[in-house]
Amino acid sequence: MGLAGAKNKRKLGNDPNNTKWSRNTDTFGQKILRAQGWQPGEYLGAKDAAHAEWHTEANTTHIRVTLKDDTLGLGAKRNNGDECTGLDAFQHLLGRLNGKSDEALEAEQKVRNDVKLSLYMQKKFGMMRFVKGGWLVGDQVKQTPDEEAEEVPDSAEASEAPEPAAVESKKRKADRRSDKEDGKLGKKEKKSKKRKAGSEADVGGEGGQKEKDKKSKRRKTESEDCEEPAVTPKTAESLDETSGASDAGNTKNDKKDKKDKKERRDKKEKKEKRRIEKAAAESGAETGDSISQEKKRKKKDATLESSSAPTPADRNSSTPTGSGYSTPVPTGSSRYLARSRFIAQKKMAFADSAALNQIFMIKS
Amino acid sequence: MSDSTKNLKRSSAEREGVQVHKRVKTDGDAKMDTKPNPYLAHYNDNEVVASPLDEFERHKTTALQAAKAESEDNNPWTGKPHSQQYFGILKTRRDLPVHKQRQEFLDMYHKTQILVFVGETGSGKTTQIPQYVLYDELPHETGKLIACTQPRRVAAMSVAQRVANELDVDLGEEVGYSIRFENRTGPKTLLKYMTDGQLLREAMHDHDMSRYGCIILDEAHERTLATDILMALLKQIAERRKDLKIIVMSATLDAQKFQTYFFNAPLLAVPGRTYPVEIFYTSEPERDYVEAAVRTVLQIHASEPEGDILLFLTGEEEIEDACRRIGLEVDEMIRESDAGPMAVYPLYGTLPPHQQQRIFDKAPAAVRKGGRPGRKCIVSTNIAETSLTIDGIVYVVDPGFSKQKIYNPRTRVESLLVSPISKASAQQRAGRAGRTRPGKCFRLYTENAFKKELIEQTYPEILRSNLANTVLELKKLGVQDLVHFDLMDPPAPETMMRALEELNYLACLDDDGELTTLGGLASEFPLDPALAVMLISSPEFYCSNEILSITSLLSVPQIWVRPNNARKRADEMKQMFAHPDGDHLTLLNAYHAYKAAEQAGDDVKKWCHEHFLSFRHLSSADNVRAQLKRIMETHDIELVSTPFQDKDYYTNIRRALLAGFFMQVAMRESSTSKVYKTVKDDQLVMIHPGTVVSTPYDWVVYNEFVLTTKQYVRTVTNIRAEWLLEIAPTYYDVDTFEKGEIKSALTRITEKIRRRQAMKGGR
Repeated sequence: MGLAGAKNKRKLGNDPNNTKWSRNTDTFGQKILRAQGWQPGEYLGAKDAAHAEWHTEANTTHIRVTLKDDTLGLGAKRNNGDECTGLDAFQHLLGRLNGKSDEALEAEQKVRNDVKLSLYMQKKFGMMRFVKGGWLVGDQVKQTPDEEAEEVPDSAEASEAPEPAAVESKKRKADRRSDKEDGKLGKKEKKSKKRKAGSEADVGGEGGQKEKDKKSKRRKTESEDCEEPAVTPKTAESLDETSGASDAGNTKNDKKDKKDKKERRDKKEKKEKRRIEKAAAESGAETGDSISQEKKRKKKDATLESSSAPTPADRNSSTPTGSGYSTPVPTGSSRYLARSRFIAQKKMAFADSAALNQIFMIKS
Repeated sequence: MSDSTKNLKRSSAEREGVQVHKRVKTDGDAKMDTKPNPYLAHYNDNEVVASPLDEFERHKTTALQAAKAESEDNNPWTGKPHSQQYFGILKTRRDLPVHKQRQEFLDMYHKTQILVFVGETGSGKTTQIPQYVLYDELPHETGKLIACTQPRRVAAMSVAQRVANELDVDLGEEVGYSIRFENRTGPKTLLKYMTDGQLLREAMHDHDMSRYGCIILDEAHERTLATDILMALLKQIAERRKDLKIIVMSATLDAQKFQTYFFNAPLLAVPGRTYPVEIFYTSEPERDYVEAAVRTVLQIHASEPEGDILLFLTGEEEIEDACRRIGLEVDEMIRESDAGPMAVYPLYGTLPPHQQQRIFDKAPAAVRKGGRPGRKCIVSTNIAETSLTIDGIVYVVDPGFSKQKIYNPRTRVESLLVSPISKASAQQRAGRAGRTRPGKCFRLYTENAFKKELIEQTYPEILRSNLANTVLELKKLGVQDLVHFDLMDPPAPETMMRALEELNYLACLDDDGELTTLGGLASEFPLDPALAVMLISSPEFYCSNEILSITSLLSVPQIWVRPNNARKRADEMKQMFAHPDGDHLTLLNAYHAYKAAEQAGDDVKKWCHEHFLSFRHLSSADNVRAQLKRIMETHDIELVSTPFQDKDYYTNIRRALLAGFFMQVAMRESSTSKVYKTVKDDQLVMIHPGTVVSTPYDWVVYNEFVLTTKQYVRTVTNIRAEWLLEIAPTYYDVDTFEKGEIKSALTRITEKIRRRQAMKGGR
């Protein structure tokens, strides 16, 4: 149990499993069962039953479950403080010690560097967002490469946001040119995204909760993006834009989606703005927070900062084919304003010898 | 004199009747006398309307014949003309997936005694198959009914109603249902829907189930305790009664196990009408599944096209909490960014029925014309997994947990615990999304977790329950050899031993394992053996009326309401009813107050609301009480009370409690501690904080042992150790105790009693 972990003390009796009873062979029940021809170690039920092949351990002894009194998700492990965190800088060394090949290490290092860079970009400027504008075929813009129909609304859309559309279509073209690479690229991007999640936290430094909650955090603010990745490979910069395009046929839905998205984005911006204000207010004085929900969110943000990534091995074992739910999506710079304070705190923590001890796995 | 003539007359009329009957049968077109016999009106009816069923030959019918009979202008079962909506319903019935395989079904049904039928939800098996059987079995000729069991009472009732509509007959006439406290069948009933428990109860008095020509076990994949026992029982009966047909219907595809179990019975599978469901996993485990679930719902609302959401959570509290959070966030979303409206409905077993019905409401419309469409979100326990069909669900959010009953025979604790679901159940949940159109299922765990952490199948109830009641039932059903009783999933030997042991201490089984008179009587009550024994022996303590009330109150959910926003006031109200000696007596006080309010003609609902009592549970306790009272009266168990003014009024009740619950007693560890130790099992427990008992007593009897973060005993009442030695001397035989505080305490008390008696004797 880590120092920060919840203390769950429970007094146990001398014989919490009551083995005294189970070892006792003179009980009435055992007497009756034996009288009817049962031997210890046997299943009950018909002799040589045809369906006996389906019998499991549950047919021999009661079902054992662990008492679950938290809201930890399925498969998540509580951090008991024995996981090493903040080892990003030593991944190279550790990887070699673990017998990874140099190429693999190189690749990993490269991914980490990429993540660092894009993270820097995010923090510095935030993300540019683009609206899907269709495919440029010849000199006409089309919704999808194969489908000619439904052009009109598309151009309307384009006229609404002409500039991004142009950029978009350019990008589309590029995409199409490198059609083959696309899949690979998408995968890689996705991976790097995931990395990002990790290293973003690494920047934060120590502590050590799952990056999960950060993601769920994200998920909320950035709700719309997350579904799509499962459908299409995504590129880091323009998630939503790429996504819908690849489901050919669903043009109508796409349209609706697009519209939704735009509106949502507006909303998001509004939210973000509000948050900046909030952050400002909070950093000024931690007083009047009206909406408790909001406050809670912020507090969670704080905890996020202290979170860190699991080891790469863990990460690889998770499924890249998932919904992309947990894949963090870059947010605007605003949240980083709110976070900068915590980042500063993190830096201070680095000066703290106890924290460093943990980081360098020095057991005192 | 006049009596005898009357008798004579009647018998002659009967004889006449037989003759007339014969005549009708042999030469139907023979001229009848002009005045038809009024007693034989039904024969005449048959005569007037030639039923198409007359040509049917049992077990040789074809789908074509049946379809023709169904399309006639007159109802083949009643002879009356069909109502208007009948043909509309008939058309939709013929669109059901099972309909295409009616002939195939009949062919297989004719050839075999036991048939395993697999049909996914939505195939129409529950409503159609019994009707197909009806047209083939022709129970009006053989007099043998068709029974179709359902695991849940609500399902039995609603399906029976539906089928009655489909056959265009009145519910309770040709089609009826029978559930524990309600029987809607009549002499004309041919097809009977019932709960599996009810069929089991009937089997206790009719070991061969001779009333039935065909028994259909529906939803067998749910593997309820009663279904499991019925299967084993029917397997035996099938050998004895070759004329009995059995159909086992399951919704999941693990039918192979059923086939093997039933002597390699043939299998008929009907595809359901389902659409593909896209499954999403998270890429990392979630830290907080409730939080993640709430967010996922909001995200779906924000980004996915129209379609309702179904979220699975584990319990009432969690569900209400999630509903509140989702509601708040959605409100904000609407304010901030013009999101569509969303109706959020909780769904769990203890929810009042009218609130449960709300889940079938239409999703709210867009707030204004052209606005985003609304949707509904149902936050449910796993009752929405198989039992309820909610159309319009397109998105399913599955955190991968459910509350499951677990029984540990060693510590004798039966508790509801949150545990991971099984793969089969995860697939069921996902399948809920594809009922109306292609859907999506969001699993809040990784694919890896799905593969590695989830078990294949949910454990059947028989492996998760205390079997005391089951063993008693089995004994009553005439099963002698419990060891080799051919269950599909035999329970753990320890569980069986514990059940036998408990029944032996309760004197329901004698030392050779045979049912005693008391045991036989106890099995008549639809109660746990301990409760039943307590009830049966209560007249000895002159308080059977009171014990009857307490028993009913203990067999319904908690009557105390403690809303989060008014906990303090609720506790104050509870204190009004509190009896210093314990919760059982407090329950009784509350019930008496409720009855007094009812008699005073108050608005009982309002009264309950003001006093933080659950009207629904109190009235259902009242209902249970009436049922139990009827059973007591049929078995001549006296209903007596000690006068209230008597100082022993409450003492008698406390003593009577021990007659059933002497095995659920705990002793305080030391005079300063709050920790108690259960007798014989030596488990450390605390008294649940919800109790009214404030003085820490040395000995308490408890109703249940609950497992949360700590081990608690709930609903406790103070008792005196002397009573234990007096009321349950076999269980409290000091020599059988292990060395320890309890043994020494009991020895002290024995000494004391002996000395007192010696003094009395000396005097």
